[in-house]
Amino acid sequence: MRAYLLSRLAQTALVVFLSLSAVFAMVRLGGDPVLLFMPMDIQAKDVNEIRQRLGFNDPLPVQYARFVGGALRGDFGESLRYRRDALGLVLERLPATLLLAASAVLLTLVVAVPLGVVTAVRRNTLVDHAGTLATVIGQAVPGFWLGLMLIYVFSVQLRWLPTGGMGSLAHLVMPSVVLAAFFSARIARLTRSAMLEALGEDYVLTARAKGLTEPRVVAKHTLRNSAIPIVTLAGLEIGQLLGGAVITETIFAWPGLGRLTVQALLNRDFPVVLAAVFVISATYTVINLLVDVLYGWLDPRVRLR
Amino acid sequence: MRSFFRAVIALTVVALAVPALAQDRVKSKEIVIGLGAEPRTMLAVTIVDWTTNNMLEHIYDRLLDRDPKTFKPVPMLATGFKIVNDTTWEFTLRKGVKFHNGEPFTAQSVKATLEYALDPASKSHYATASYWGPLKEVQVVDDYTVRFLTKQPWPNLIDHASLTNLLIMPAKALKELGPAKLAEKPIGTGPFKFVEWRRDERLVLERNTDYWGGPADASRVTFRFIPEFSTRMAALLSGEIDIMKDVPPHAVEAVERSGRARVRSTVSSRINYLALVNLKPGPMQDVRVRRAMNHAVDVDELIKAVLKGRATRMCGPLAPANVDYAPVECYRYDSARAQALFKEAGVEPTKLQLTLDTPAGRYPLDKDVSLAIAAQLQRLGIKTNVVVNEWGTHLDKIKNRNTGELFFLGWGPALNGQGTIQPLFLADQTYSSYGNNKVIDEKIARAVTVMDPKGRAAAYAELQKLVHDEAPWVFLWQQHDLYGVANTVEWTPRADEKVWMYDAKIVAR
Repeated sequence: MRAYLLSRLAQTALVVFLSLSAVFAMVRLGGDPVLLFMPMDIQAKDVNEIRQRLGFNDPLPVQYARFVGGALRGDFGESLRYRRDALGLVLERLPATLLLAASAVLLTLVVAVPLGVVTAVRRNTLVDHAGTLATVIGQAVPGFWLGLMLIYVFSVQLRWLPTGGMGSLAHLVMPSVVLAAFFSARIARLTRSAMLEALGEDYVLTARAKGLTEPRVVAKHTLRNSAIPIVTLAGLEIGQLLGGAVITETIFAWPGLGRLTVQALLNRDFPVVLAAVFVISATYTVINLLVDVLYGWLDPRVRLR
Repeated sequence: MRSFFRAVIALTVVALAVPALAQDRVKSKEIVIGLGAEPRTMLAVTIVDWTTNNMLEHIYDRLLDRDPKTFKPVPMLATGFKIVNDTTWEFTLRKGVKFHNGEPFTAQSVKATLEYALDPASKSHYATASYWGPLKEVQVVDDYTVRFLTKQPWPNLIDHASLTNLLIMPAKALKELGPAKLAEKPIGTGPFKFVEWRRDERLVLERNTDYWGGPADASRVTFRFIPEFSTRMAALLSGEIDIMKDVPPHAVEAVERSGRARVRSTVSSRINYLALVNLKPGPMQDVRVRRAMNHAVDVDELIKAVLKGRATRMCGPLAPANVDYAPVECYRYDSARAQALFKEAGVEPTKLQLTLDTPAGRYPLDKDVSLAIAAQLQRLGIKTNVVVNEWGTHLDKIKNRNTGELFFLGWGPALNGQGTIQPLFLADQTYSSYGNNKVIDEKIARAVTVMDPKGRAAAYAELQKLVHDEAPWVFLWQQHDLYGVANTVEWTPRADEKVWMYDAKIVAR
């Protein structure tokens, strides 16, 4: 187990390093970062002086070596736009992103898994059709539209919830619902089809023949056997959420990682982009690792010696 | 990692707090403003950014203010100034002013602030040639008299001292605490004190009851950063915020109908123009073609049809909101005249293929305006290909002279002549589209050094006439800034885009 974890960690480090290198190359292919953080009446000689000072005039390999050297010490440099430690800016946003992701995932699991189970067990009944319709709608409705509609109804008309920002639990409700709507739809559909498949298996027949009650058959024998694809998809989605949900964050003025990253990209704030990619790819690979460990727990066949 | 844990703690604390309601805010005299963008730093005289300075000015005072109507310099931390000789200015400072930490404001504060800005270690944008670069030295004469020595005659100094380019920091605190600490907790002499800044979320200020100009009406000012306009508008209509910046023209009616707020608008000093690029080969090299373009574009129609009247037409390069403005005659929309000019230049409009570069969403309806201009040119048979750029790409293209023959750009807040004419009509400037005109080059070089106010006015008036005749742009308009303002707040927007809360009054309705 330890050897396995160590090799996985080494893989994780490699993945993070490679993605950072790729992003480093890509952002440099864009334009001049100096123009975007200096005022528009800046003179050409000042632009060049600043570029020189920041090292953007050096050959790319030199810049890359400097970046790797810094990154290894956890130093991604100073944000060009905000003049603050880039990694600090990113880490400061992480709690808000974690909070929103956790709440959206919780909501998704609480809604989607039971919905998937019920629609599978009550296949071809009114419940199933209604559930399927709901999931299709959930997947088809664009997040920004749903977000704006929720704001209109619950903030402007009813005045129950704040339009955006962060502060109380009330602030968390609408962004979580918007994120969960889409993911719930996907998870519910997946749960339903995985359950249907498992319900047709011989071991379910055996369990029923043993005289187990239907809830036990569903919970213990069917759901657990359908869990692997659900866990896989949930893991991927959590990883995505931790990268920040740009549109939802923008609509609800949520101070998360996604907004910061996209703004940094648009502003060519390279240190922040790279620090964000570092944090995002690291969390993503860690989540993947956790998912793999979970597989072993769910399915003894993939458990490691 | 420390910032991570600090943020976790902050999060837990605020999770228990509940936002104040609109009626409570009236009682406690609080104002909440919804802006699309947040400040970049809380450190004064470091980053040139209008949004940042707008907020910093609530905390820090300048030497001089500008009258919002006449744009003339008026006293602030300096009670007066005189020009000693062509390269020496003397400011008399206000007595009895204290910083928020109790430190007295003196000539040392002015000196320390400018020395911080000019110190290469501070990497301040203000050390560059377009800002405090021409300054040689600051001399303390006595506690309340300070002299600015410049490298060359620099009449524009007065504009820099009255704009946001000189926010006075406390000398002792700057030395003892250092800039990093002042960035975390700014200490100024301004009408509001810093309370907290939560990045991408809010900036909270409280009233400075000892303000030298008398305390503000608002006891607490909160700037909330809400990037999406629909959300900002919903926040205004639901009573979460009291002032909303940038109401789009199509949403004006909805705000007015709400019964909770109304739209206040002002003509902005920010200008929009269509550059006719002569810095690269092509038809725009010919002044007759550039003039023809000015006759071919119907600016009034654009204002009426695209901007719903929310713009004020300009005839030359400067707007009346500019201190150096002088009137020039407008190019009239006249397609026959345009045709004649094209013919004179030997250009057949129906064979003309132009490219127009435009940003999208940077200026009011910029992309729509560009498309409408292309449609207007089509009436003469001119084919115009509109290219929509992401903002950074747009700037790159202009700087590298890679745009089409035409591009759309805004400039501002353009408050003095030098700030517009010098960077935009000289070939070696970063974002210029026009240049290499010997007469204009010389006149600009002279105008920026004229110390005598009358001579300066004459020099800029002559330049405006010259530029108008050279037609380097299709002169378009000054933007209008639209704000949604709650009925409980009395506040007049300003031409310079500053949301200035010292002027705001809270009234029960």
